[in-house]
Amino acid sequence: MTSKETTAVAADPNKITKSDLIKASVNTGALGMEFSWTYYKQMNIAFCLMVAKLLKKIYHDRPEDYAEALHRHSAFFNITVQFAPFVGGIAVAMEEKVARGEMDPESVNDVKAALMGPLSGIGDSIFLSTLRVIAAAVGISLCQAGNAFGPIAFLLIYNIPGFWLRIWGIQKGYELGVGFLEQAQRSGLMQKVMTAVGIVGVMVVGAMCKGMFWASMPIPIGTGESAQTLQDILDGVMPGMLGLISFWIYYYFLSKKVNPMVLILFTMIIGIIGAFFGVLA
Amino acid sequence: MLVQAILIGLIAALGKFDFQVGTLYAFRPIVLCPLVGLVLGDLPTALTIGASLELLFMGSISIGAYVPPDETIGGVLACAFAIQLGQSTEAAIALAMPIATLVLAIKNIINAVMPIFVDMADKYAAKGNLKGIYGMHWIIGLVGMVNAFVICSVSFYLGADAVQGVLDWVPAFVLSGFGVAANILPAMGFAMLGRLVITKQLVPYYFLGFLLCSYAGIPVLGVALIAVIIGITKFDLLGGGAHVEPALEGDDDDDF
Repeated sequence: MTSKETTAVAADPNKITKSDLIKASVNTGALGMEFSWTYYKQMNIAFCLMVAKLLKKIYHDRPEDYAEALHRHSAFFNITVQFAPFVGGIAVAMEEKVARGEMDPESVNDVKAALMGPLSGIGDSIFLSTLRVIAAAVGISLCQAGNAFGPIAFLLIYNIPGFWLRIWGIQKGYELGVGFLEQAQRSGLMQKVMTAVGIVGVMVVGAMCKGMFWASMPIPIGTGESAQTLQDILDGVMPGMLGLISFWIYYYFLSKKVNPMVLILFTMIIGIIGAFFGVLA
Repeated sequence: MLVQAILIGLIAALGKFDFQVGTLYAFRPIVLCPLVGLVLGDLPTALTIGASLELLFMGSISIGAYVPPDETIGGVLACAFAIQLGQSTEAAIALAMPIATLVLAIKNIINAVMPIFVDMADKYAAKGNLKGIYGMHWIIGLVGMVNAFVICSVSFYLGADAVQGVLDWVPAFVLSGFGVAANILPAMGFAMLGRLVITKQLVPYYFLGFLLCSYAGIPVLGVALIAVIIGITKFDLLGGGAHVEPALEGDDDDDF
């Protein structure tokens, strides 16, 4: 890749080093992506802060170009936060080319914009709908057993992979530069990873419908020694059946664009009626 | 009481500060409720409430166009009131969602002025003034923290009697109904996640995950690890396999 060229000038104090990149991946901007989040331009300020020091190095003797680059990187930006340093690495590699006059400045933001969609798709499925749910499942079961380690377990499981991705991502992104996008799309890697992540996400959701659903129907059926509740019978057929059914009912209404708040309200009403007649617990 | 109210407010502000240290998800009820419990001297109850509220807000994450109710303030205040008033988990559940929704409305009003700071940051950037950009970053973030602090400490200090009144007035079966609803609602959270990840080709995997948990009794984490192996082998992500991949159907299945 073209980034090899820069190793020739190792003595240059303005060369971007590995430690510069790692520092940038955990600086105020990189970790504060959602601190200054607004509906308006979302993570634009934090992205600019993340790459500012690296831009300063690239444009160390050209204050006007530096200001222009800062302005360029305060454009609209949004992504799964753990992937932001990866995009930062790519953007900085591109800025080096811009500084040498090998690339049109406009294309930097075009590439950033092109990465937002696919990477947020992968990122949200990995972090928000899979890892977070697994971490919550572990944390919740510990908390319910009265174990104060529950919240800590939740934080560790969710965050260790995220920090690894930040630190690795900014280096990898810098190394790959703009070539990444074409390469990933040509090899179909993006699609494969997305589907593989999808399998994990979907299986976890399926398992949660059994493992994290507690409503039951204690309606008595039969009398005397043969007395059972409806729940016993349901469990005999398929444990967790109620969770499965509830899931698909909600899924159906959500796919009909029913507002989640309306569904919550209806659930509360059903819960109150069910509790009043003793058919739900 | 005043000290406690201030500490409760600080917990909520700490939750908002989470967005500055990497969005660790420390702003969730599962993390903040136990802290509330420490302040109010009842950690065991707080752990249970935290777990229940985490489930209640399971699907409440900002993906796509859906802006969720504020689970940070909703969780902290509901937990604080429930413990302070000696109430059960049901009471916390009943309080959390209405508070979280109300706070969302307040936040939306405050957020209306934020573009001013964003535009100022833009001007600083054009002048190469990095300090100015940092300033805007901190102003926008601190507004969120101060907002959370004020709402939580003032509500806790002034609101306990009012909340007690409401809870006294509500019949017991309604509260247990909220408890039932809280047991059902996780399924809605899962359905919201499902809407994002399930495509036609992935439906069998949903049932595979469910059945592994249901009949084989494998816990969620175990199912996730099995799923990782299936994902890796199916798409040969570690490399080495020479066989041809079947063509993947992509976008046209997404709205299943």
